[in-house]
Amino acid sequence: MRNAYLRYAGIRLVQAVVVVLLAYLFTFVVVSILPGDPVTNVLRDPQNGFTEEQIKTIIAAQGLDQPISVQLWTSLSGFLVGDFGVSMRSTRPVTTLIAEVLPSTLILASAGLAVALLLAAAIAYGTQFLPKRLGQGIVRAFPSLFLSVPGFVIGLVLIHAFGFQLGLFRVIEPDSAWATVFAAVALGIPISAQIAEVLIANLDHESGQEYAAVARSRGLGRVRLFAKHLLKPSSLPVVTVIALTVGELLGGSLITETVFGRTGIGSLVQRSAAAQDLPVLQAVVSLAAVVFVLVNLIADLFYPLLDPRLKLVGGTERRPTSANESAAPAPGSVTG
Amino acid sequence: MIDRSDARSPSRRRLLRSAAALVAAVALAPAIRAANGSPHGSPRDGGDLVFLIDTLGPTWIPNNSAISSFQGHVWGHVTDKLAYVDAEGKISPWIATRWEQTADATEFTLHLKDGVSFSDGTPLDAAAVVANLDIWYAGRIKDGINPIGLFPKTYDRAEAVDPTTVKVFFKAPTLGFIPTLGYHGSILISPKTLALPAIQQADLAKTAGSGPYRVAAWKEGDFVKLVKRKDYNWGPEAVGHTGPAYLDTITYKVVSEPSLRVAAVQSGQADVAYNASPQELKSLKDAGFTIATPRYLGFVNGWAINTKLAPYDDVKVRQALQAAINRQEIIDTVYTPDWKLAASFLQGNVPGATDQSAYLAYDPGRAEKLLDEAGWTRGRGGIRSKAGKPLTLTLYPNPYLATAKAVDELIAQQLGKLGWKVDIRAYDVVTFGQKVAFGGPAVPAYEVTRSFIDAGSVASILTDANNGENWFALGESDATLNALRDRIAGASSAESRAPILDELQKYVLAQGYFIPRTQIVQRIYVQSPNLKGETYNGLAYASYYTAAKDK
Repeated sequence: MRNAYLRYAGIRLVQAVVVVLLAYLFTFVVVSILPGDPVTNVLRDPQNGFTEEQIKTIIAAQGLDQPISVQLWTSLSGFLVGDFGVSMRSTRPVTTLIAEVLPSTLILASAGLAVALLLAAAIAYGTQFLPKRLGQGIVRAFPSLFLSVPGFVIGLVLIHAFGFQLGLFRVIEPDSAWATVFAAVALGIPISAQIAEVLIANLDHESGQEYAAVARSRGLGRVRLFAKHLLKPSSLPVVTVIALTVGELLGGSLITETVFGRTGIGSLVQRSAAAQDLPVLQAVVSLAAVVFVLVNLIADLFYPLLDPRLKLVGGTERRPTSANESAAPAPGSVTG
Repeated sequence: MIDRSDARSPSRRRLLRSAAALVAAVALAPAIRAANGSPHGSPRDGGDLVFLIDTLGPTWIPNNSAISSFQGHVWGHVTDKLAYVDAEGKISPWIATRWEQTADATEFTLHLKDGVSFSDGTPLDAAAVVANLDIWYAGRIKDGINPIGLFPKTYDRAEAVDPTTVKVFFKAPTLGFIPTLGYHGSILISPKTLALPAIQQADLAKTAGSGPYRVAAWKEGDFVKLVKRKDYNWGPEAVGHTGPAYLDTITYKVVSEPSLRVAAVQSGQADVAYNASPQELKSLKDAGFTIATPRYLGFVNGWAINTKLAPYDDVKVRQALQAAINRQEIIDTVYTPDWKLAASFLQGNVPGATDQSAYLAYDPGRAEKLLDEAGWTRGRGGIRSKAGKPLTLTLYPNPYLATAKAVDELIAQQLGKLGWKVDIRAYDVVTFGQKVAFGGPAVPAYEVTRSFIDAGSVASILTDANNGENWFALGESDATLNALRDRIAGASSAESRAPILDELQKYVLAQGYFIPRTQIVQRIYVQSPNLKGETYNGLAYASYYTAAKDK
């Protein structure tokens, strides 16, 4: 059994390295086929008044006139030994740039995920136990509504209402506690919709099971039934969704950070993408790939804890995507 | 490098403590003042300014960022210049207290102010000025430090004669040298900073200037906080104050959303919002906010026409275009009365700019007549054509000017009435840089937004002589323009140059080589009414060195 785990972990690790390398190469190709580069773009700003000759000399000095293959090898050989290089836009080490902004994004993403989970749980509870006359149907429409309102609109509305009208936070202090809370709400709302949809579907299934009917007939309270009996089996597929929303948390943070004026990974990506700053983009994409792979790995390892019937067989494991699967694992993947 | 403590909301206890201290200070102030006879410093001293800005630019290497429309604000407070250029283009002494030049304008002697120092303690002496002149001219290209693009390319060398005297030599007459010393690229940086490799110069905290403020903290893409130097005593006399600044700190904070910048000033959370939309200005002014739309010294916003590209190789078509644009309507529709009509291809505040409004009058009748004479006749749908080809104009809005596309759309309507078929292709900065160039194969009209300090540099831009930019794709083919260019370059005094500049303006506009739209305002400031006393230099940058806040 231990060997199977080690083999499984080994395969996942190799997969992770391949994914990160592919992400690195993909970024290089995508940015390289775009016309221009950050150095030339700045030099060509007519305000600078450079002659064509000066521009050519500067470009040659920076090695930007080298063939793509040479540029790729220079950047890849550095990356393989952990050297992310220097930003072409700001001329500062890429690691310094990322270290400056990472804490802000981690805080926002964690808070956004917390908001998303709380909201999703609240909506799911509402769909099961809110009396129909108090709007159970309306609550069921929330996920669709949340998905259809763009994140930046939610952000702007929150800023105007709570920042300017109620004065709870100052726009120029986006890292303050209140500003972070509202940024997390703006980020968490669209993500909560996806979690809520899966959770509602699974709760609907679980609440129709016999054990739920028995629990109800024995007089178990709504909250207790929800928290103790229904939530756990329903949340197994939610773990998969959460793992997949990590990408959206990172992507959504770009918009939320821009609207709230926070300086995080999102704003770094935005500045770097606008300037075609290849070293920074490659480092951030690789970092995102590492995070994505890691979170999914953790999610995979988490399933057996939530449902002991799921065990690892032959170094592979199936991820549950619906309540039916979590309740009745596929043949061959379950051992006594 | 990063100071977050100031960026957090004060706790309630801290707020109470501050309030108590404030009340006590207000109550005791008259008594203390009476006891001391006179207060220390100016009664206007103190206060913090928050300036909200779209972005803070790509890099902080001084040479690579000095002329940035955004970083220039920070550099203007952290550094000084050898000469000061005011909003009317008048040049006056600053760190250079006086200067002399030889009759042929190839050798200059600068006399420096004594006792000036950079914020790292290094003296700002002749050796420091030589180090700066050398790096402005040549940069350190292999290290990633660019030269200053508009620094005279005729520079030969500079020598420190004694600690306060510098001699500067040029390979050819360079009348524009002294004005260039007041240009935004010519910022004086400590030789210790200049000696650092590019990767360290890019860390703003490591840069030392001699300006009234120094960098206290910064975070890339987020904010720059400046604190005043209490020992500063060498401001430009032209602004009426030479001692330390009044405001304690200035924070440049990036808020990329324009409506949020303005809303933050309206709600009292910030003091200045940069680059508001022109449409908002009237209501803000009515609400009591200070609006500033200073003009920089340079070219007006307009088109350099590609004379190689048909039908603009025909002078009559170019002249028709000149007469077909209703410039007043542009101001009335897209802008506000804060914008001024173009009267030449030079901004009105440039010394040497003359009033050539007669060439720029809106005269649709004349435009139609000229087009008829040139053989462009009205056809189906009102579009003019000649030999089966329609009269077209493709416009590329300049991405460095937010209102460029709106102006193009209005002009397209105006020209459409006279039979033009106008096509507008809007590109982002990167694509624009790649596809649109002066005299480019598919670019009949290049939209210019360009500042300069000395009108003498104009002539060299218009043709291709001495690596000139050849704006009208004329090369050396126009003998009149070449002669005017050479006479301007060879002039040894501003007085002798003035009539030639006037002739140049008349000729370029009469030939329809340059089609002005409006005088350009590239920097718009919305300011809290509590903030007063700021100044604007010849590059339209606001300086808060002389500013103070009402208490």
